[in-house]
Amino acid sequence: MDRPLSPFMFPIWYRFQITSALSILHRITGIGLALGSVLLAWWLITVAAGGKLFAATNAFIASPVGMLLLFFWSVAFFYHLCNGIRHLAWDAGYGFEIRQTYRSGYAVLAGTALLTVLAWLYVFLA
Amino acid sequence: MTNARSLSNSTALRDETVLRRVRQLGSARDGLREWRLQRLTALALIPLGLYFAASILWLATSDQATAAGWLASPAPALLVMLFVLAGLAHALIGMHSVLLDYVHTRARLLAGELFVRAAAVIIAGASVLAVLKLFLGD
Repeated sequence: MDRPLSPFMFPIWYRFQITSALSILHRITGIGLALGSVLLAWWLITVAAGGKLFAATNAFIASPVGMLLLFFWSVAFFYHLCNGIRHLAWDAGYGFEIRQTYRSGYAVLAGTALLTVLAWLYVFLA
Repeated sequence: MTNARSLSNSTALRDETVLRRVRQLGSARDGLREWRLQRLTALALIPLGLYFAASILWLATSDQATAAGWLASPAPALLVMLFVLAGLAHALIGMHSVLLDYVHTRARLLAGELFVRAAAVIIAGASVLAVLKLFLGD
């Protein structure tokens, strides 16, 4: 019998749990935010350079693709922030019981949704 | 009797060797500093990140004069530079552990780490220069 190796176990052999899903999401959003730092540096450079460079960047950010990227950045940021605080609590020795871990996991998801909605309400209303 | 003694001696020697390996070659060598720096930057990034996220979502579609004016004032200039530097230090440690987990040959690991470090240094330098230009210029 060909036994499956760990990354390929997900759909069939490995039962979905919120704990493992949130853990890999922390890593994925971390990588996404690291990549996003390139765009952040680019935006700072264009603000400093001004002129056509800024105009082109500004038009891109205002375009649907640009707004979608910014939206994904905000979700990734708020998720990594909330789950990062969860990690800091673990580092301090709190919340290791399974029930607490599940509860804090759902709290992280709720916090991410709340912060994202608040941030974008602020963008569109202000 | 002599056999037992020599066995215990060789066991002791082996244990000492294992301990030395852990100290000199294992992951216990310099992980603590990174672990601590990751947590320290995480703590710093809570207020810095919230401040930056609020600012960038407000400024993202603004005109150049508004954005430049914001970055030219002292508090935003300082906080944006601190956010970029703390964020990149934090990202560097994170990317390092991602590479360690998924890259399994020494040459590729070294290449990956060099690339990530070079990228972080360039991004940090470019961001700080851009903010300093707006803050010091005009």
